[in-house]
Amino acid sequence: MAIIEVVNVDKIYNDSEVKVTALSNINLKVEKGEFTAIVGPSGSGKTTLLNLLGGLDTPTNGKIRVGDVWLNELKGSKLIDFRLRNIGFVFQSYNLIPVLTAGENVELIMQLQGVPAKLRKQVAADMLGKVGLADRINSRPAKLSGGQQQRVAVARALASKPQFILADEPTANLDGKAAENLLQIMEQLNQTEGVTFIFSTHDQRVVSRARRVIQLEDGKIKSDFLQ
Amino acid sequence: MSYIKMAQRNLWRNKRRTVITISSIFFAVLFAVVMRSFQLGSYSLMIRNAIEQYYGFIRVQHPDFTDDPSLENTFEIDPNLPVKISKVPNVKAVTARLETFALASSGNITKGVLVLGIEPEAEKQFSNPEQFLVRFTIPMAVWDSSDKKLALSDKVRKVLAAHMGESFTDAAKLASIFKDQPIDSMQLNQILHLSRVQGRFISNGDSGVVISSMLAKFLNIQVGDSLVMLSQGYQGASAAGIYPVVGIVRIPNPELDNRMVYMPLQMAQSFTNTHNLLSYMAINLQDVSDKALMATTDSVRKVLANSGLDVKTWQDLNKVLVQQIESDNQSGKAFLFLLYFVVFFGIFGTVIMMVHERMHEFGVLVAVGMQKVNLALTVLLEMLMMALIGIALGYLVALPIIHYYHIHPIRLTGEMAKMMIDMGFEPLMPMAPFDFYVLWQGVSVIFMVSPACIYPIRKILKLKTVEAIKR
Ligand SMILES: Nc1ncnc2c1ncn2[C@@H]1O[C@H](COP(=O)(O)OP(=O)(O)OP(=O)(O)O)[C@@H](O)[C@H]1O
Ligand SMILES: [Mg+2]
Repeated sequence: MAIIEVVNVDKIYNDSEVKVTALSNINLKVEKGEFTAIVGPSGSGKTTLLNLLGGLDTPTNGKIRVGDVWLNELKGSKLIDFRLRNIGFVFQSYNLIPVLTAGENVELIMQLQGVPAKLRKQVAADMLGKVGLADRINSRPAKLSGGQQQRVAVARALASKPQFILADEPTANLDGKAAENLLQIMEQLNQTEGVTFIFSTHDQRVVSRARRVIQLEDGKIKSDFLQ
Repeated sequence: MSYIKMAQRNLWRNKRRTVITISSIFFAVLFAVVMRSFQLGSYSLMIRNAIEQYYGFIRVQHPDFTDDPSLENTFEIDPNLPVKISKVPNVKAVTARLETFALASSGNITKGVLVLGIEPEAEKQFSNPEQFLVRFTIPMAVWDSSDKKLALSDKVRKVLAAHMGESFTDAAKLASIFKDQPIDSMQLNQILHLSRVQGRFISNGDSGVVISSMLAKFLNIQVGDSLVMLSQGYQGASAAGIYPVVGIVRIPNPELDNRMVYMPLQMAQSFTNTHNLLSYMAINLQDVSDKALMATTDSVRKVLANSGLDVKTWQDLNKVLVQQIESDNQSGKAFLFLLYFVVFFGIFGTVIMMVHERMHEFGVLVAVGMQKVNLALTVLLEMLMMALIGIALGYLVALPIIHYYHIHPIRLTGEMAKMMIDMGFEPLMPMAPFDFYVLWQGVSVIFMVSPACIYPIRKILKLKTVEAIKR
């Protein structure tokens, strides 16, 4: 069974004067272990789609299943708790809590999950090792480069043992080398540990690393192919 | 990483803002505690001077005495009554007095005085006027340099001239007038020698009187001189007498120090022709709190049931003083309310800034799975810590101050002192010791911070994750 299923989803923003149809009639399935890029021009609906998949926002029409749960059946604190245990997030920038060290940022999510302190420390060190930042465990985000911060965010997402990780333009604020490096790490995690990644991007070099590419245009899926 | 630690770190994230917020709470608490301490200290001084050292916390008197405190409204008592009253719990001392007004003169100066017929031994247990017995009075001499017998500097002479006729209960108090103009011990000894007064307090069956120091100065009377007194006696009889002054007392309450004549009860009764009548019995208490006062008053009433006498508290009889204290107290509280109100807006401003700066961070935390309630709690904890640090620092500085000035009250000098004496107050500014009012300031700050917390809590509970992250 696919871990994500999107059925007839529309997203219409109604709150301003003009009605904006950000997504219309989206149907989509994502399997475990995918490494999928969502691409498309600015305003095509990439962020909107990822927000819906992550349970951060609700579709206007249609429904979305994650694992064996239909997201529209969850509300409020239940939905937050569902995200905590099932979905990893990496945002475009400023992912980390500035007053916590890299290690503490990774630990925080496990603390929210109720993982005991000793295990947390161990896993945090482990995860930071996987993203190549074992030696920066005690650094505050301000002391890390943009690329390093994004890698810590990946480690944090990883530490929560999610069903999949959503990353909305994770490389948008990084230079070519750092972007390359981040993608390499994500790819490696995907290949060796089977972590499912769904990320959006503008960057052609990033797109070329994806195995599946879903192209959006004006809120519709224009193409969906494996490469 | 506990929430407490996280709150702690967040406090240090914008150091300047945190320092400003904590300082504003610190200064508010410090100022409030010190101000309240001065206020409450001055009330208890007023009460001590007026009530404990003269008036008595409870009075037993003729029902009409309140409206017309004349000799006609006096009463006779069963001699066992004072003993019975003194056995009532919380009663510290009981004394019987006959009080009347008279004209006192010496030479060609005349002044209205308050004649207090007292039982000298009982009075010592009560207001203890003996403790105020004057040992030194600066003579009404010409303190200029033409007097070659004394080797005093012009500045010292000037100080003496300014204090001419002033009386002191001990050498240290006299020496304190030279605190801005130090003198050597030889000069001081000379001055003490010249100023010495040989007085004593009256005893039971004495034939002399003791008068207060400002009255003595006004009438230019010294110990050993005679005082002529004229008054109206009981039932229209005329009263007159001439009495030797055996001692002078400096009563800390200036209004009383201006016009007091103490004489033994029997002497006052024969002066006024009242035989064995009394104006009132005055009672002092161990615990002077309102609650204890009420309870003791009730007990005394029970002892006096069927005697036809009234039992009144000092508050019943000193409505003006009570009102003065009450209105001063209210304006003090109103001022503090205003102060806290201003501080509240300062804190509120900080909180709004803080929340707006951290909206994105809040969004990320809720997105990755932190419950909004927990997030609100961490922010609440942060604000509470800020408030508690401010309060603790405020207390840390305020408590030693109020402790010190409680034990060493500030004595006013110069114009301020004159003004206070003219208003009938002792020119002292004692501070009240540690008490509930101190705790109240901390509680007020917490109450003030609480509404400021509503803003971040609301913001967090109503947070729209997607929008917060976009920022
Ligand atoms: N909160 C909102 N209210 C109204 N319209 C919105 C809102 N959020 C997004 N939109 C609109 O929805 C459409 C899709 O936006 P979205 O942010 O998903 O695009 P995107 O593909 O992520 O673009 P970009 O590459 O610039 O990030 C746009 O037309 C946008 O203006
Ligand atoms: Mg976007």
